[in-house]
Amino acid sequence: MRILVVEDDEVAAEYVRKGLMEAGHVVDLAPDGDLGLEMARAADYDALILDRMLPKRDGLELLGDLREDGDATPVLILSALGEVDHRVEGLRAGGDDYLAKPYSFTELLARVEAIGRRSDPTAAVTKLKVGDLEMDLLARTVRRSGQKVLLQPREFRLLECLMRNAGRVVTRTMLLEKVWDYHFDPQTNVIDVHISRLRGKIDKDFDEPLLHTVRGAGYRLQV
Amino acid sequence: MIEAIKKLSRNTLFRLSLLGAFLFVISLAVALGYVYFATITAELNRVDRSIEAEISELQQIYDTGGFERVEVARAQEILTASADSGDPKYQQIYNTGGLDSVSRAVFLRGASYEGLYILQTSRSVSGNLGEQTVQTTEKEESLLPGLEGRSFTKLKFVYSDPRNEDSEISDRRGRGIAGNIFQNEQPVAGIVVGRDVEAITRTGERVQTAIFTSSILALLLGLISSWFVSRRFTRRVEAFNKLADDVRSGNLDRRAPRNYSEDEMDMLAEHLNAMLDHIDRLMKAMRYAGDSVAHDLRTPLTRLRTRLESAAIDLGDTPEADTLFAAAGDASELLKTFDGVLRIARLEAGERRELLTDVDPKPMLDDLAELYEPACEDAGLSFTSDISSGIMVLADRGLLSQAVSNLIENAIKYTPKGGKIHLCLTKNKMGRAEISITDDGPGIPAEDRERVKERFVRLDKSRTLPGSGLGLALVDAVADLHRAEFIMSPGLGVTEEIPGLKAALVLPRRKSLKSK
Repeated sequence: MRILVVEDDEVAAEYVRKGLMEAGHVVDLAPDGDLGLEMARAADYDALILDRMLPKRDGLELLGDLREDGDATPVLILSALGEVDHRVEGLRAGGDDYLAKPYSFTELLARVEAIGRRSDPTAAVTKLKVGDLEMDLLARTVRRSGQKVLLQPREFRLLECLMRNAGRVVTRTMLLEKVWDYHFDPQTNVIDVHISRLRGKIDKDFDEPLLHTVRGAGYRLQV
Repeated sequence: MIEAIKKLSRNTLFRLSLLGAFLFVISLAVALGYVYFATITAELNRVDRSIEAEISELQQIYDTGGFERVEVARAQEILTASADSGDPKYQQIYNTGGLDSVSRAVFLRGASYEGLYILQTSRSVSGNLGEQTVQTTEKEESLLPGLEGRSFTKLKFVYSDPRNEDSEISDRRGRGIAGNIFQNEQPVAGIVVGRDVEAITRTGERVQTAIFTSSILALLLGLISSWFVSRRFTRRVEAFNKLADDVRSGNLDRRAPRNYSEDEMDMLAEHLNAMLDHIDRLMKAMRYAGDSVAHDLRTPLTRLRTRLESAAIDLGDTPEADTLFAAAGDASELLKTFDGVLRIARLEAGERRELLTDVDPKPMLDDLAELYEPACEDAGLSFTSDISSGIMVLADRGLLSQAVSNLIENAIKYTPKGGKIHLCLTKNKMGRAEISITDDGPGIPAEDRERVKERFVRLDKSRTLPGSGLGLALVDAVADLHRAEFIMSPGLGVTEEIPGLKAALVLPRRKSLKSK
């Protein structure tokens, strides 16, 4: 993916750039809001990482201008203001995801890749397929190798989230936000427990596991 | 009642003002006693002097009357010129003349009843009290000035006023002197001279009664005013005591009530308030310093974590990478703690109170139950819930979820394997929504239940378990924001050593919250 990072903190921006490049992405940096808007308009990016507090032009303002142009580039908003209402504000202004500082790089990477993928026109599907695992979003059924797998509603949503991000890391925080709509980190391993139950249903009776744990980051559904 | 009196008797100001009242009553009694002495006693003494004077006067009248009769007898030559006072005829004429004069004087003076008289000669008893029943109440041997050598008796007596025998107060009091009229040092007639002192005695008695009554009255008033004064004083002192208790229990924003009279108590209140302001400033400065440190450390810590993570990713699947991931995890823990501190600081500032909305806690709690039930099962705990529907509260869904989540996590952390955890939403007796998490774990001793709500406070036995010591502080801050009560009490435990814990959030009724 080609990613534009609009961030005034040079050190932070450089780390983000380095990390994203190592993950195989092309990265441009913009140190202020004006330049960021100019660059976003000039080139076609797959995703934007946008700091909220920027010199010259505020992050939300930049986002507003961009959306007014009809530019639908997925945007991940970064902010030091981690409160829920700020998050809601950011999403309302047209952001696709919101990440509060301090974030871990793996979290950032997972989220950027997730939103970047969402811009894919195939996002509005009714069926998801990863290997021999199939999900019918309308009938709300799941089959593996043609065998029906019975899931609780929450397990279904958990699996849906993983399948929509198939091949990419999904962090525990992302799951908690997207599946349960909680914006705080539990101390205990609640997500792990749910994942292990899900794993018991989709992987247990099959030779090749699909649901992998990614150390230090989260989970990935992959053939 | 007895308890109240005991309490009153311990009150310093009551005792002081009571002492003041006693001293006042004694002074009052002395002053009134002097008034009595200066009026009534002085008047009675004046009466005594006039009686004494009259006794002497009557003796003179006797002598003058006797001598005049002797002169007349000599002029008429009934008595020879040579007959002297040793002569029996002379003596007889002298005595007759004297007694005539005296009885005339007694008759004339007694007619107006200004004086009271009895004159007793060998032949008759005369005087205005001569035919009265006179009852002597007191007697005292006495010597009169100018008449030394003759014996007199001071008398107090009761007589009936012959002019108004029918009136109710026919018995009147008098005082007087009884003695004799002398001729050549021989008593010739008994005489009693008295004065009516009914009016003045009555006045005296009234004054005495008044002195007694007013002293008792002053004593009673003193008691009552002491009680009032001490009650007023006690109320103000109690306000200070309550203030001290409040401040000690963590309400640093309480201040002593002032009445701006600038009296000692008011000045004390002012000084106390100034002291509390100062303490408050220091506490805030300390907390602010802590918050700033937490804030400023986040940036370098974030970088540290990013560097560790990217280095770990660079190393690929090696044991060194594991170490680096673990180090990054430690950095994450630190960041979480700092985030927790800042989050609590922001909650305590109370800015978010405006954002509370009507929330039905049931779906929220159902979700939490669903989220944590598997984790409980994994930990070997049985998780149950009893969540009523149709209860609305004014809340911030996210914050309330987090608070309840913290409480559930604590229950999971501290309840040993095989234990029970119960999540409950009910309406309590006061009609307030109560969210409670009950377990049968070790519980928290009553004396520590307030302390554990403070930041970074961890009980000794939990120090070995993971955690930052911020969980309950956050719950408390969330409860404060919702103006809810955060109450901890014994839970489901069956023994006294392991009582369990019930942690409850009692939310206010929506109306009362909105009106605040």
